[in-house]
Amino acid sequence: MTVPGERAIEHVAVVGGGLTGWSAAAALKRRLPELTVTLLAEAATAPGLIDHLPGALPSIHDFHADLGLGDGDAVHRTGAAYRLGTLMTGWATDRPDYVHGYGAHGPALPGGSFHLHWVRAQYDGAAPPFDQLAAGAALARAGRFATPVASSQDPFGRYGYGLTIDPPDYLAMLRAFAEHVGVSVDHRGVAGVAPTERGWVDRIVLDDGDTVRADLYLDCTGSAARLCAALDDEWEDWRRWLPCDRIIVASVPLRDAPSPLDRASAWAAGWRWSATGARSASEGIVYHADATTDDNARQMLSGATTGPMAFAAGTRPQPWRGNCVAIGEAATVIEPLGWSALHLVHSAIDRLITMFPDRELSGVEAADYNRQAHAEAERVRDFVLLHYAASSRPEPFWPQWREATLPASLEHSLALFRDRGRLPFYEHETFDRDEWLAVLIGQGVLPRRIDPLVRSYPAADAARHIAAWHAAIAAGVAARPPLAAFLGDPRQARPQ
Amino acid sequence: MTAAALTALLPHQCSVHLVESEAIGIIGVGEATLPHMRAFNQRLGISEAEFVTATRATFKLGIEFRDWGRIGDSYIHPFGTYGSGQGAVDFHHYWARLALAGHAVPPIEAFSFACALARQNRFALPSSDRQALSSTFDYAYQLDAQSFAPLLRRRAEAAGAQRTEGMVSAVERDGETGWITRLRLSDGRTIEGDLFIDCSGFRALLIGEALEEPFEDWSRWLPCDRAVALPCRTATAVTPYTSAIAEGAGWRWRIPLQHRTGNGYVYSSAHLSDDAAAARLGAAVEGEPLAEPRVLRFRAGRRRRSWVGNCLAMGLASGFLEPLESTSIYLVQAAITALIELFPERDIAATDRDEFNRLVDLEYDRVRDFLILHYHATTRTDSTFWHDVRSTPVPDSLAEKIELFRRRGRIVRYSEGIFRDASWIAVFTGQGIVPQGIDRRAERPALDDVARSMADLRDAIADQAARAPGHVAFLDRQRLAVAA
Repeated sequence: MTVPGERAIEHVAVVGGGLTGWSAAAALKRRLPELTVTLLAEAATAPGLIDHLPGALPSIHDFHADLGLGDGDAVHRTGAAYRLGTLMTGWATDRPDYVHGYGAHGPALPGGSFHLHWVRAQYDGAAPPFDQLAAGAALARAGRFATPVASSQDPFGRYGYGLTIDPPDYLAMLRAFAEHVGVSVDHRGVAGVAPTERGWVDRIVLDDGDTVRADLYLDCTGSAARLCAALDDEWEDWRRWLPCDRIIVASVPLRDAPSPLDRASAWAAGWRWSATGARSASEGIVYHADATTDDNARQMLSGATTGPMAFAAGTRPQPWRGNCVAIGEAATVIEPLGWSALHLVHSAIDRLITMFPDRELSGVEAADYNRQAHAEAERVRDFVLLHYAASSRPEPFWPQWREATLPASLEHSLALFRDRGRLPFYEHETFDRDEWLAVLIGQGVLPRRIDPLVRSYPAADAARHIAAWHAAIAAGVAARPPLAAFLGDPRQARPQ
Repeated sequence: MTAAALTALLPHQCSVHLVESEAIGIIGVGEATLPHMRAFNQRLGISEAEFVTATRATFKLGIEFRDWGRIGDSYIHPFGTYGSGQGAVDFHHYWARLALAGHAVPPIEAFSFACALARQNRFALPSSDRQALSSTFDYAYQLDAQSFAPLLRRRAEAAGAQRTEGMVSAVERDGETGWITRLRLSDGRTIEGDLFIDCSGFRALLIGEALEEPFEDWSRWLPCDRAVALPCRTATAVTPYTSAIAEGAGWRWRIPLQHRTGNGYVYSSAHLSDDAAAARLGAAVEGEPLAEPRVLRFRAGRRRRSWVGNCLAMGLASGFLEPLESTSIYLVQAAITALIELFPERDIAATDRDEFNRLVDLEYDRVRDFLILHYHATTRTDSTFWHDVRSTPVPDSLAEKIELFRRRGRIVRYSEGIFRDASWIAVFTGQGIVPQGIDRRAERPALDDVARSMADLRDAIADQAARAPGHVAFLDRQRLAVAA
């Protein structure tokens, strides 16, 4: 028997600053305080996409809770605001816009999942729009916000909310926090990586000739993947599925009151977003370089822009190799639709801490980690691709994506849903069933037939419950404050 | 089960015609189940009181495994969790930490409320207060399967299922598609249908004999291929758990029902003759035998596809895994749930069929790995059987699970299917696979604090369990309630 601790990893080098590196360093040091965590903050050759994106999923609150960060520090002081979802416009040209929110649609009814009942009501011509049956989405449309109530029976007990962050201010908070908990930061530039004979990292060589050695290295250098690229060149290219490859962002002054609803609007060559935090707003345009010009794209934004930044969708099949783990864009590059970037970083950090290895670094843990990471990345890819595959825009850029051969996992999801409204289960989903449903139904994908299971419950009863739920949501929305009022009211501070 | 579920859950949407022969017996030799059984009963509106009375059932908190890791060992695989269910890091990491630090730590079952109840021969329903220790478990039944079938039959018939007594003599198929068009009975009657469900047991009349769907043989990992069954009068305790006692060429079950105890010896015919097995079982049963020993033959494995064309196999027709972890009824139930959720139209979409087969395969594969673990994690060398099973290489999927647990106490997580964390922990630790390292976060609290709170927890579990009624007293109370 070995005593725990004797083979323990003592020193972790986090290579690369930005939201990815600082998040990883802060979390490691906070959750495993006996570690020495060195952050080589200037190692990335350029900021990642993630450092420009305003959207964060509800899981960000778990990340903050794990760090012991309250909303006072992580939300209010950074100018972040609560977000309840995204208004999706123009994705299916013949359909009204829809909200992709977080949380359940409709009440639980006997016989089968709620959405199957809704599909029957829809075919009967008696269903309210699907997103009006989700409290979070309805609140979002109304520009209102309140935290959920503590009851799973209440429509207002079952929604989640993320954050709209201001990336520079949020990063500044993370830096201060990381330094406060004892991350040692080295601002010297990184010249390169010296691998060992077996293809692990031997040491990091700095610009001034010094070296850094650690037991474990995290590659947070973005898509350049400066560590991983020195070890292998394995990469799974997803560009045939995820069409967009350029992005331009603009930080703009806040013109109106902040909204808990950001927007993702499809256009001829991709899509654009607008989002509002508590103090500033963000706009961005995401497109395919062959479908428009950079100037054209830039003109659609107001104010000072950054970019275009080019990116190539794909994933590293083995983000953890030996003593080196790729986190963030060094592991997976997926365009911003759905705002998964920060979530994937948090998820990777949490997975690594849960599986934290010892100095022996057996491949068993890495294999399990890599399998989970890959499954997770694939399903995020599928979810993003779903928007394109289920679009009905006519411009030349669009039809090819709905005619493309889909990944088998997405094909499977779509085939089952189109047939009877069933969604197959996959491990390691980032977007839950209600989110898949929001997009599928929002973009007009409906099951071909009504599932036999719901026929055992009378349609009239289902319709009555749907109407009552709808009315309860409408009344509850009216009773809740606008987001600005919620943020400005000190009594509304989120309970810790 | 299938006919009762179809008529109850898809009323008026399909007509169900059940062909059954009294000449073909029910395999049930006393069945131990998993907690999922309760959900099945609830969905069908079968109350616990009605069920327990009709099937002479007893309650089941888990399975006791005796002599598996080595002769003399005993552990319980509980339907419940370890620890009090709090904290970011799972309880077993703290338990392993104390052991690794040289503390005298009791077996992990001392920290399971379900195990404490079981060891004390007590039973109570789980508390609905999530904070309470008495909420950290679930339960199942030990039942007489022979009397469960008539209960289901009555339900199915009352809900509109038509039942035909007869023997299938021929299966007629469409020349082009190969789909089954009708069944011809030995008396000349014919039965047509859109979908044919093969519940014919080992014979696999439709999917095997008629459609010749290949059978994937798993006997290289699970060599037991016979069982001899022998019910007896109960002479010792009516335990709220099933026992699985390792033997020289397999293992022996003990399943106490209200009115008798089911016993059986599952063995490998390559290592033991039928007569020797029957003799060993006869010597081991605790009370007066209530029947002649009956030998059953089987082979571990499953159909390559359980749903082919318009024919779908359930239960033993679709596959067989020895009853070591009481999975037989569960696997039927999982297949029924999948069928209800994917109930097809007349032309049967391939997507429904493929998804059904995917789900069924997933369940079988998980159970298979879990069963193999029992034979692999042992130091027994007292017979050729144990030597053989112990040294057989395990599937990669299992080897990796073992290695992850052994190194750092990690359990491979999945959110669909049976046998979650606590089940793996029970068998790993019960059969000598203990973590050599633990989750780093569990090393943070002071060792003395961990030791103290574990001791407190152990006492609290033992005390609270001691306040529950005895298993037989609980059964009597329920019987009185039914009578009133």
